Amino acid sequence: MKIRIIKRGKNDIELELEGEGHTFCNILRRTLFEDEAVEYAGYTIDHPLIGIPRFYVRTNGSESPEEALIKAAEKIAERSAEFRDEFLRAVKVHQGKS
Amino acid sequence: MKIEILELSDNHVRFILKGSNPAFANALRRIMISEVPTVAIDEIVFLDNTSILYDEILAHRLALVPLKMDPSLLELVRGESDLSKFQIRLILDVEATDGPMIVCSGHLKSEDPKIRPVSDNIPLVKLIKGQKVTLEAFARLGRGKEHAKWSPVSACSYKYLPIIDIDADLCDLCGRCAEYCPHNVLKLEGDKLTIVDPLSCTLCRYCEKVCEREAIHVKGDDTAFIFYVESTGALSPIDIVSEAANILKLKAEDFLSKLKSHLSAPEGEVDEEDRPD
Repeated sequence: MKIRIIKRGKNDIELELEGEGHTFCNILRRTLFEDEAVEYAGYTIDHPLIGIPRFYVRTNGSESPEEALIKAAEKIAERSAEFRDEFLRAVKVHQGKS
Repeated sequence: MKIEILELSDNHVRFILKGSNPAFANALRRIMISEVPTVAIDEIVFLDNTSILYDEILAHRLALVPLKMDPSLLELVRGESDLSKFQIRLILDVEATDGPMIVCSGHLKSEDPKIRPVSDNIPLVKLIKGQKVTLEAFARLGRGKEHAKWSPVSACSYKYLPIIDIDADLCDLCGRCAEYCPHNVLKLEGDKLTIVDPLSCTLCRYCEKVCEREAIHVKGDDTAFIFYVESTGALSPIDIVSEAANILKLKAEDFLSKLKSHLSAPEGEVDEEDRPD
């Protein structure tokens, strides 16, 4: 992944995430929505095959958009690890039953 | 987050994921399909091919043969974009000496016993007496987003956990919902309508349509998902799911470190590198 900051406003930021697609952008957007300080989060991919996602975040000012992005990414990493551990635990439980 | 395994075999897993959201479920699904690496034949040197199939057709068929791989390879390339560090050679050398024969994936001889076709019975080409195929195939690691031959799953999907609501006051026990349900989710026994198999409900809502008194309501719970993952045989379904979670975690961590390095760098220094005009 390569990040390029396109614009940095007072409470908003626009960045390009080269090498990513809907897989990561959509979950990042959805996770940002959980943050009260985030007013807007969204992305566009200009072309389905060669487009580079452009991500846009705006906050209400109580938190900088970078902070919001960091918090969201940390949440995703945490949940992925939780999912993996919980899945492996469930597999063990299932194998113990049969 | 809570997970319960419903079915598990060598080739598939069905599980319920509770306490999550559609974006997370979808990210996992997309990663399993297109980003969990597997091994597939990518380059072939034809030494002899007198079969009726053209080289390129045979090459295409060979590439689509799923190869069982060593799960420790996943760790080798985890988080790397370049997968070229792993390559393995397979040899196919068959001649129909007496009568017609079918060349199968089992005729492929691999250099490494850990990496071999998932099944020995996949037909590749039919030869008549005297025809010959001799080739050297190179298999490498790749990801499904480059070509579907590298996708570890033949099916990977999820659906919302069904919530079936029957209003006992309105229901007159006509039994039409049970009769019309294409998956036999409901059953009318005597004077009681029971939900016998809620998990196989596909949320088609046909029962709602046929119920004249609007006593039944079906909706999906968007915090709970029933996943179905079917492996091609290249990796075990457990490895596929756990590796997808590892990849998602790495993606988030990679994003985090890149973003932080942007923030600590003086303004205008990191961006604009090799930006295409």
